[in-house]
Amino acid sequence: MAQPGAGTTGPAVVAEDLRKTFGKDVKALEGVSLEVQPGTVLGLLGPNGAGKTTTVNVLTTLLRPDSGRAVVAGVDVLADPAEARRRIGLAGQYAAVDEMLTGTENLELVGRLNHMATKDARTRATELLDQFELSDAAGRPAKTYSGGMRRRLDLAAALVARPPVLFLDEPTTGLDPRSRIGLWGVIEQLVRDGTTLLLTTQYLEEADRLADRISVIDHGRVIAEGTSSELKATLGAAVVEVRLDSPEEATRVQQLLAEREATVEDDLVRVPAPDGTRTLADVVRTLDGAGITARGLASREPSLDDVFLSLTGQAPDADQQEQPA
Amino acid sequence: MSTTTSTSKAGGSGSSLVWALKDTQAMATRNLRRLMRQPEQVVFNLVSPLMFVLLFRYVFGGAIQGLEGINYVNYLIPGIAVQTVLFSAGVTGFALADDMQKGFVDRLRSLPMSRSAVFGGRVYADSINNAVGLLVLLATGFAVGFRPENFLGLLLACVLLLVFALAVSLGYALIGLTVRSAEAVNAATFPIIFPLTFASSAFVPVATMPDWLQGFATHQPVSVVINAARSLILGDSATAAQREVLLGGSDTTSLVLQSLAWTLGIAVIFGLLCTRKYRALGR
Repeated sequence: MAQPGAGTTGPAVVAEDLRKTFGKDVKALEGVSLEVQPGTVLGLLGPNGAGKTTTVNVLTTLLRPDSGRAVVAGVDVLADPAEARRRIGLAGQYAAVDEMLTGTENLELVGRLNHMATKDARTRATELLDQFELSDAAGRPAKTYSGGMRRRLDLAAALVARPPVLFLDEPTTGLDPRSRIGLWGVIEQLVRDGTTLLLTTQYLEEADRLADRISVIDHGRVIAEGTSSELKATLGAAVVEVRLDSPEEATRVQQLLAEREATVEDDLVRVPAPDGTRTLADVVRTLDGAGITARGLASREPSLDDVFLSLTGQAPDADQQEQPA
Repeated sequence: MSTTTSTSKAGGSGSSLVWALKDTQAMATRNLRRLMRQPEQVVFNLVSPLMFVLLFRYVFGGAIQGLEGINYVNYLIPGIAVQTVLFSAGVTGFALADDMQKGFVDRLRSLPMSRSAVFGGRVYADSINNAVGLLVLLATGFAVGFRPENFLGLLLACVLLLVFALAVSLGYALIGLTVRSAEAVNAATFPIIFPLTFASSAFVPVATMPDWLQGFATHQPVSVVINAARSLILGDSATAAQREVLLGGSDTTSLVLQSLAWTLGIAVIFGLLCTRKYRALGR
């Protein structure tokens, strides 16, 4: 019989039509399918409650789906969860480090529970603390760490046993911008070293920077899939936003810019800007020609909101508010 | 089917029992480290039984009747010993709920470790904590005049109490797994332990209670265990009257067997429920 995992080509992670209902009618997953090729990064992008964490929990053996198939590093997660656990690293949504233990003790514990020899666990802990710039804090209890340091320690804990496949569930949620950028650097280094990574995020910017491919998930379904530029292409690139004094004035501006497919929402006019600054210049000329003074004028790249607007016809937060509890 | 892997992770299925023990040891070490780094919790666990000893020995003790000639401090210490281990047993549920709440249990569940080690390591560490608490209590007891008739009996009584506490701690583990909030487990400790220790033979002879309470107070498990401990400590010195009035008319062997039956029953029921609950986390 072929050795599972080793030597097999094909995707490092496969999810096929995963379905999961909590209780009677909370449908967390309604047929999630995705694939991650070895050595690449998949960003699972979606708002709160979209099913990101549930998907990760199924793939990391924490949760059994009602139906579907999941394979990680060549191991069927549902048939042989124990073997799957030997091949994955997970850093969950909360930095699951023991705050009473020191950085070294945390990593040594995970090493021992991964059945490494005590000495190997110690060497590996030192190595990881060094790699994640935590050596100076190695002997301090994790409760004295900053949010960014805790996340780095949590990430290090997921890497103790050198798993071929790594799962990161919202690795930077709750971090300040500086720590977030620091953590991105760490993750990029891991990926350069060949780790296969599935990461969930609420931020397009994060998926954009870290992921080779992005799956957009909403209401337990993958609603779009592709590279970052492919997804952006479907959004029609940047948008020029003009804010006016009143909704009436906004409607007037929208009519003036109707040729450019402008849309209006209250006192805000959005103009797709496929040709970048030329659209901006055109908008300024139109406003000037009509003698209208805008309160604000900005050109911006598509955001997660825009992805959702375009994919679901609703902004993610508006959508959530309309969801019955 | 091959279980060899090319990664650095070792551990074949043949040695799973060895790994389960090693995992339990690793978890117990972690739990004890945590405990030692929360001195305020340790101090609280030790101080409250000491307060009870002083309160009952010097404030209420003089008014307690019906002791059939037993010195009250000798009557009191086994009762407070049971109360102490019962309160400490709550730590099991409290700590487990805390680990659930903070996502630590999910990390453990994603590791190739033995599942039973999560409970094993918990109960192992908490039993050591409990044993230390019992030692401190006994030392205090000696300082205020406690003099056991039978030292071997005292030792056996301590073992009996620790095993009983272990069974009860599985009940707390179940609460911890269910409510997943350390505060809620803490809040649940009091209403469970309070009636069981006060409507028992812990502080006053059951014969001094109203009739309607005596039936419960004599036969509920906490009283049975206290009576067994007392009987072991009194040894042959117990008079027929003391045995009849204070120990429910049973001899040492019968009390110890009853205690072990309760302990085993509680351990099996809650052990099974905990296992089921833990498995259900993945559903």
